[in-house]
Amino acid sequence: MVFVLFGLSIIVFYLTRGLLPPNTALAPYITPRMDDAAKLSLAKGLGVATSACQSFEDFSMGKSYCITPLWNQYLSWLLTVLSGNWGYTLLPGISGSQTTWDVFAGRFPFTAELAIAASILTIAIGIPLGIISATHNNKLPDHLSRIVSLGGYSIPQFWFAVMLQLIFVIYVNVNGQGLLPANGALATSCAICIPNPGTISTFTGLPVIDSLLSGNISYFWDSLIALILPSLTLAITSIGALTRIVRSSMMEVLRQDYILLARSKGIKERVVIYRHALRNAILPAITVSGLIIAFLLGGAVIIEIIFSWPGVGQASLSAAYVLDINFLELYVLVTALIIVVANLVVDIIYAKIDPRIRY
Amino acid sequence: MNQAQSSRFQEARYAFYLFRRNPVVLAGAIISMAALILSILSPYIVNPSLWRITDLTKRLCWNNHMINWGIRNVFDCGGSTYILGTDSYGRDLLKMIIIAIPLDMQISLEVVFSAVLIGVVFGSVAAYAGGIIDEFVLRITDIFLAVPGILLAIVMMVILGRTIPILTFAVLVTWWPTYVRLMRSQVLSEKEKPYVESLKAIGAGRFRILFRHIIPNSIYPIIVQATLDIGSVILTVSALTFIGLTPSPLLPELGTLASSGAQYVFTAPWLTIFPGLAILIISLGFNLLGDGIRDVFDPRLRR
Repeated sequence: MVFVLFGLSIIVFYLTRGLLPPNTALAPYITPRMDDAAKLSLAKGLGVATSACQSFEDFSMGKSYCITPLWNQYLSWLLTVLSGNWGYTLLPGISGSQTTWDVFAGRFPFTAELAIAASILTIAIGIPLGIISATHNNKLPDHLSRIVSLGGYSIPQFWFAVMLQLIFVIYVNVNGQGLLPANGALATSCAICIPNPGTISTFTGLPVIDSLLSGNISYFWDSLIALILPSLTLAITSIGALTRIVRSSMMEVLRQDYILLARSKGIKERVVIYRHALRNAILPAITVSGLIIAFLLGGAVIIEIIFSWPGVGQASLSAAYVLDINFLELYVLVTALIIVVANLVVDIIYAKIDPRIRY
Repeated sequence: MNQAQSSRFQEARYAFYLFRRNPVVLAGAIISMAALILSILSPYIVNPSLWRITDLTKRLCWNNHMINWGIRNVFDCGGSTYILGTDSYGRDLLKMIIIAIPLDMQISLEVVFSAVLIGVVFGSVAAYAGGIIDEFVLRITDIFLAVPGILLAIVMMVILGRTIPILTFAVLVTWWPTYVRLMRSQVLSEKEKPYVESLKAIGAGRFRILFRHIIPNSIYPIIVQATLDIGSVILTVSALTFIGLTPSPLLPELGTLASSGAQYVFTAPWLTIFPGLAILIISLGFNLLGDGIRDVFDPRLRR
């Protein structure tokens, strides 16, 4: 687990530091009024420049006697960021005014909210669809769910997003206003939105939960509406994946002898399916849900850009353009940490549900 | 013809029969074949350098009266009918899509073939050798499986440059671990089978056993996965180019075409709809085909 995080940070570090001029390493830590001498001592302090380095000019030109080996740079970078010093953000518009950590922490709840909403949609639609598909094998519901799952699997998410915007903002409109909002995390201008929802206080950072905690129902409504299109777009692919997995494992389980036995004992079909079959059929789906979380977090980048969602995914594209390497590292590491922890949790749940597995 | 061969032949004939009988699979096969043939024939249908010619007097035109968009600002620029309208550079959208399909197919096939190759070699060697080699390969795939693929690709393209080879490489970097894992698990179960034992007993070499016997016997799931992934790679590539990681906004690539149209989506929706539809159809075709191959060749799922 730790190995994965280290490996990832090395890869991203190599990509950003190893292939770019040494100046980029300093950018998050430079303040506007620094002169060259100050910058040089900063570079030495960050472990990028060697102590033998004489002038900042030599350093920025990348003279070899001035630059410490990449491995040492990595170690001193690790020490710097592990002590909590992620430097200032380079994101356009707020460059230098906030720390990278604050920007990340402020944006992350939005991404989390989107991913959680998409996971709920995935499970709420994917699992029932898979069950129906397996129990009505080769009948109309099976074909329909097959179309939904394969379609979801094949549809370009970005295109689906734009199509939803087109439909719900232009074609389906009430009194000249689109039914649903086209973008943003708080919908204030659409047909069913509430124009002035007021403000809320921050508890968790997730607008949907915070608004409930502050008792502001109109804010809750507006942020819930804003979630609909992005979370549906984000979920569409994983719904397809989950449906397929539940269907195939359900079909395999339904063919087992113990199902035949249960049926021959005269147990109701509903009980056979939900009590006897589903418990076994759901196991592969749980394994995949770990992968789905990874997929949702990764996919969030594109969706956030299209829906102008103020999360970390949207910022990561800008961060890549301005070479804000600390933001990118933070994003990759936090995402990877979540994925690794999710896989661990999946293993634990797996062992809980299936008593045959005991490690 | 000895008995083993004849039974294998019968098996293949039966599989082919199932294949033909299933309309969904047949549709998938037809669509993916059509995409491949179109990619090959594309340069003969449309002049491949046509995308460089822009004509701003003919931008955002729609003179196909079969579809009425119900939007104002749609204007007819006369001349020959543009079935799918013109794009924001005044080029015929249909021709641009025909030029774009081979490029997307090429990237996708390159990524999938390389990933399969890497997966088969590293996965089978890791599983067969076991021990420290296996552990090492597994840990490396762990790292790459934990990274959000899109982000790594974005970082690579921004730093290394926005070109097609780097785009291909960036997608490949996040794609190969799945195949290593898949191949490894296949070989792990395959190498415990009795026939491997008997091959060892008659003195077959390690490499002969691995490459002549185990790999051919465990390749089916890889083929299915590869077929499914041809579509998925196109989706990823076009998503990357859609958010602006493209060599040139003029480039006829399905994601780029959709992206340059997305800013006009409320005045000229066809610019986004049709390139996206092309991606959807191609990807759906390969997914149907892959799904069908799995159903046909996996006896447990036969209906």
